[in-house]
Amino acid sequence: MTGRVLPFRGRPLSSEAGLKAAERVLATPLDERAAKARTLHLEDPETLLALCGVLRERMGTSPASVREEAQYLYRFIESPKREIGLFDERDYFLGETALLAGTACRCLSEREESWIWFERAEAGFRHTMNAPGELSRLAYQRLAERLEERQLDLVLELLPSLIESFQKLGMPEDALKCRFLEGLAHVEKDEPAAAVAVFNQICSEAEERGFDRLLAEAYGNLIHAHGMMGEADAAIEASRRSIPILKRLDNRIALAKVTWGLAILLREGGHYAEAIDSYRKAQDEFGAIGMRADIAALNLVVADLLLEEGKSVEALHEIAAALPVISELKMAPEGMAALSLVRESARRQEINRQALRELHGYFQELQN
Amino acid sequence: MFSLTLDVIHSALVAYYRLTEEEARGAEEDLYIWFQRLARRGGAGQMPVKLLRISLLSAACQYGRSFQLWKLGGEQSSDRELNDVLSREPDEVAGDLDRRFEEDRS
Repeated sequence: MTGRVLPFRGRPLSSEAGLKAAERVLATPLDERAAKARTLHLEDPETLLALCGVLRERMGTSPASVREEAQYLYRFIESPKREIGLFDERDYFLGETALLAGTACRCLSEREESWIWFERAEAGFRHTMNAPGELSRLAYQRLAERLEERQLDLVLELLPSLIESFQKLGMPEDALKCRFLEGLAHVEKDEPAAAVAVFNQICSEAEERGFDRLLAEAYGNLIHAHGMMGEADAAIEASRRSIPILKRLDNRIALAKVTWGLAILLREGGHYAEAIDSYRKAQDEFGAIGMRADIAALNLVVADLLLEEGKSVEALHEIAAALPVISELKMAPEGMAALSLVRESARRQEINRQALRELHGYFQELQN
Repeated sequence: MFSLTLDVIHSALVAYYRLTEEEARGAEEDLYIWFQRLARRGGAGQMPVKLLRISLLSAACQYGRSFQLWKLGGEQSSDRELNDVLSREPDEVAGDLDRRFEEDRS
């Protein structure tokens, strides 16, 4: 038999002190933190708990900074190996910071990186007391990543099991969040009516239970789905409900998607110039939070609209602006095939419109 | 919730894992600090009370077992009952404790 010697520590920080310490950490440049770790209380679990909370809240506002901070924290805890807190806390913080980093990478369409961070999160969470709950949160992020890779049937196959896990664990907000993936899969399959049904159900339950963030995001997705169906009144009503909450939460990712949804509505209504303005506004909003993939996707959508108006030279410029980013993303095979056709047609200055549509169709999931 | 479970934790540490009263009090202080943070973790905000309690009992049993094994320094104890409990997985012991807790309250 072997035994692990448990560390007995002095009195730790209070939760209020942990929050203040977290603010000091975030105000300190990354390269100065290790040397100041003791005075910053960077190894104190209260500080780390507060930091994880702050980063979770910032995910919708600034995913690039969340990625940088979460990666830093993971590395700080992991090497050199530091004793953090009591019992399973070191493993928990490794798992949580890796999950935050992976989620941020997913938001930024850095897919390979996000998968690596999800592996690291699993390695940490496996050793925690509440492993089923933490691993289920991780499973949600993995399914969301698969949705973005357009593995729609796999997502729909695995979702019910994950929802059941959250329900058994008594995590109703996470269970409801899973239904977003179902609605988004319908959007991807060009089934907007089915998506509307799912998002309406999410809205009802979120409103009943007081899940504000989910409510606002569900309305945001309803804008998109109603927009696809050309249902202007319903889309505008959904935007009226979602925007105030998203602004209050400073959820800039979701707000940019609302702008995108409204652009779809304008396009479906035949208001091409206004639609392009709205797409440009969405691009600016994505640009402000570092979401380059979404900007590139919108370049392709705008190119398609410009072609609709017979502006092929301008359309080529849009495509040329998007291609370097799209290449950098290392897309899945079907995306790469469409990309090759578009690249070739751009070279010949005779745009293969079907290839362009396949490519931006592939990218459409990035807004979700 | 911690207060409600404290009697069971104390009894497990002292009666099962044979910690002294002083050692058990030290363990309970650490468990209290840990539990306050567990309840604020990212995935635990919505955790039902039962799961939180099982996690707490499991941590208490891991603590008791690790501490006693450290005290024994790799040797077997002359106390057969202690050896029996040390040979069991802490999660398993925690499950038994939780069942007893629920029976006592019903």
